[in-house]
Amino acid sequence: MSQTEVVIDDKRFVAKEGSLLIDLLIKHNLKVPYFCYHEALGADGNCRMCMVEIEGQKRPQIACDTLIKEGMVVRTKGENIESVRRNILELELINHPVDCPICDQAGECKLQDFYMDYGLYDSHIDQADKVHHQKHIDLGSNVMLDQERCVLCARCTRFTADITKTHELGIIGRGDHARVSTMPGKKLDNPYAMNVVDLCPVGALTSKDFRFSQRVWFLTSTPSVCHGCAKGCNIFIDHNREKYKDETIYRFRPRENQAVNGYFICDEGRLSYKALQENRQVERDRNGAVCSEAEALKAYCKTLEGAKGEIIVLADPNLYREELVAIEAYAAHIGASLYAPLEHYRDEDFADDWLKSSQRAANAKAVEILEIKTTLPVEKAGLLISFNHPDAAQIKAEKVISFQTHIGKDAYDLTLPLAVFSESAGTLVNEEGIEQYCPRAIKRNEPIPTVIEWLTQIEGGDK
Amino acid sequence: MIKASRIVSRKFDIPGSHTLEVAKTHGAYDALSDAFAFSPAEIVEVIKESGLRGKGGGGAPAGTKWGLMPQDDPRPSYLVVNGDESEPGTFKDRQIISKDPHLLIEGIIITCYAIKAHDAYIYIRGEYCQFQQILQSAIDEAYAAGLLGERSGGEAYRVDITIHRGAGAYICGEKSALLESMEGKRGHPRLKPKQKEPEWYFGNPTLVNNVETIASVPYIVKNGARAYREFGTEHSPGTLLFAMSGHVEKPGVYEAEFGTPMLEYIEHYGGGVLGGRKLKAVIPGGASTAVLTADEVAYATLDYENLRAMHSALGTGGMIVMDEGTDMVEALKNLLEFYHHESCGQCTPCREGTGWSDTILGRVLEGRGRSEDIDKLLELADTMDGKTICVFAPAVAIVVRSFIGKFRDEFEAKASV
Repeated sequence: MSQTEVVIDDKRFVAKEGSLLIDLLIKHNLKVPYFCYHEALGADGNCRMCMVEIEGQKRPQIACDTLIKEGMVVRTKGENIESVRRNILELELINHPVDCPICDQAGECKLQDFYMDYGLYDSHIDQADKVHHQKHIDLGSNVMLDQERCVLCARCTRFTADITKTHELGIIGRGDHARVSTMPGKKLDNPYAMNVVDLCPVGALTSKDFRFSQRVWFLTSTPSVCHGCAKGCNIFIDHNREKYKDETIYRFRPRENQAVNGYFICDEGRLSYKALQENRQVERDRNGAVCSEAEALKAYCKTLEGAKGEIIVLADPNLYREELVAIEAYAAHIGASLYAPLEHYRDEDFADDWLKSSQRAANAKAVEILEIKTTLPVEKAGLLISFNHPDAAQIKAEKVISFQTHIGKDAYDLTLPLAVFSESAGTLVNEEGIEQYCPRAIKRNEPIPTVIEWLTQIEGGDK
Repeated sequence: MIKASRIVSRKFDIPGSHTLEVAKTHGAYDALSDAFAFSPAEIVEVIKESGLRGKGGGGAPAGTKWGLMPQDDPRPSYLVVNGDESEPGTFKDRQIISKDPHLLIEGIIITCYAIKAHDAYIYIRGEYCQFQQILQSAIDEAYAAGLLGERSGGEAYRVDITIHRGAGAYICGEKSALLESMEGKRGHPRLKPKQKEPEWYFGNPTLVNNVETIASVPYIVKNGARAYREFGTEHSPGTLLFAMSGHVEKPGVYEAEFGTPMLEYIEHYGGGVLGGRKLKAVIPGGASTAVLTADEVAYATLDYENLRAMHSALGTGGMIVMDEGTDMVEALKNLLEFYHHESCGQCTPCREGTGWSDTILGRVLEGRGRSEDIDKLLELADTMDGKTICVFAPAVAIVVRSFIGKFRDEFEAKASV
């Protein structure tokens, strides 16, 4: 397709001939309202909200079903077109409950946004005349449906039909009795089901896991990468520190990255945020007794000095590349051999042909690039220092120092708490070799040191 | 004086005309030998010359549509006959199906040959259970006689016909919704293509034509385009199975040529307005056309051009006659209930607009009307017009505008009670 020039609201834009007009509008942030269109799902043309005026066309046209043509002159603003949109929006709203304050979608609802942009009229319909449907239906897979809040954009049904091809969701009933539903007795059940919650532009589909836990405008979104497998799906970590409480993650949301995950993430990855705040190792533990940081550092140095025989360092292949590099340098410094065993992270049952990889270690590729040994060491060690490796207990060693993010069942000579990925920052290299930087999202009230913070302290104490 | 013009309804009054035996003695399947003497392209040409127009309501030239079918495509071509007759006031196709099904089968064989299709589907309205049975036995008879199947009409050309029953949705009469329905999906109209192209059934080129259109084909092929053009007007050649219901003495289906004056038709075939009362209004072509006042009916003629000039449409030719006692507000409410019930719910303006219009008018009829209700109905009509995928909502807009525009005082009287 050749490049061509079009005029939108008196400004010139270059676009591919034959591409969708709405994509151009979205790309240049030329605001038109829309519910049903989604880049991943294509045009369906049912909501009729993205109306624009095109010179030479008698009637307003929907931008999602208009192909770019050479010399096209488009208007997205003006009294005429705005009143068309306003009137269609009014129709979207007549049977919609107007109870935004108790709706979990409030704050990230397209209907709300568009009403503020284009609507702003008094209701013309009596509450008694509204069509009523079922509310809070548990569809399965953590997805709740409120049929009354639905605008029937069919994004969710198209997702299950075209993307997952599982076809659980459909629209039943005609006219203003149309509603989203599953087949009788059937549930929404696929490993990507919760994406319909993000796709839903309104409060019809909400996450059972997230709903009513936070108002979205209190949340801070920090871009990050899911650590559930080596795919490296891009996410937002949505978190908030409530008064008198610690910083808490409330949800992961997919973040668009065409090179990696497109628009979606799997449900397992989405819910993996919970593990970051459950059962965490926060105390320093020396021979079963809690100790201070200074005592812990002292014990660390003593254990290291007294080590007899070989020292083995284990690094978790989920750690950031910067952390792996620091551990590698540290291991060399103390004359230890370094391993980052991958065996534990093979999971063929988890894998599919889309976003889920059988390699469950997020940074396995970085381990490979850094040429760190990935087998499990078989020799007996005098001292084992493990940086959160799940196989630490399997190594035969006289003394063990374990830096760990979570409380484990095994007791060690010295157990030290370690920050999880959301509390640290660094680079992941996904299985395709794409490098992705994750900034620190969470700052705890009482911070737990990261790998680099620990090593800095240890090496500082060394001197 | 009305000219007798019976092309499609020729055998309607013959007892047992739906059986192969009776139909054959009255010339059924005679056109097949003429058809197979032509090349497929020649038949398309004859249809183009005849000016045959689609008789399902749109009135698009059938030949043009046939011409869109590819002549050498590796994919199979299909013929789909639209028998989902659901337009209120329209009950003509069922006459063909029940009284002369062999005429339809004959038309299907010829059309299949012309567009190089071997499989035809008849999508019949779900409620037409009894007519479907008649049609199926006619098809069975045709198979038994070797008229259908591997050697259709005795020629080495395979034609198979399958009946597909609808499930009771008005919108499935819209051709793309019909095809969606046939593909096993919800009957939702498809987005319109950007250029002229055939319809698609499972991605294969498909021609969708109304029952009566296909039933007109044998006559044209047998007698030639010129013979067909002897009926009707220049732009609306031929005949149509016009129908009358409502306040007339003899409601029914009577074939007449295009261009027949409406009033004359109602007088001649319908025996005039019921009980000799005064005419108030006529909806000319199925519910979805603009209502005409008695004054307009006086100079209306039954052809596409005349009615279009009067800002209405010929539609399916099913006239709903209303006498002086008719309450136009109630009449519109009746129609709006239908549209509310039948809107497929795909596009927002239609899904919500039909329901809300119905609600507002219901409120007016219950005496809960507000002064702005009538204007709100007109505003809703504007929002529904030209902003949806198919022409369902624009049709509702036309109906609302014509009723309120032509009988506004009746509406205001009810709204301001």
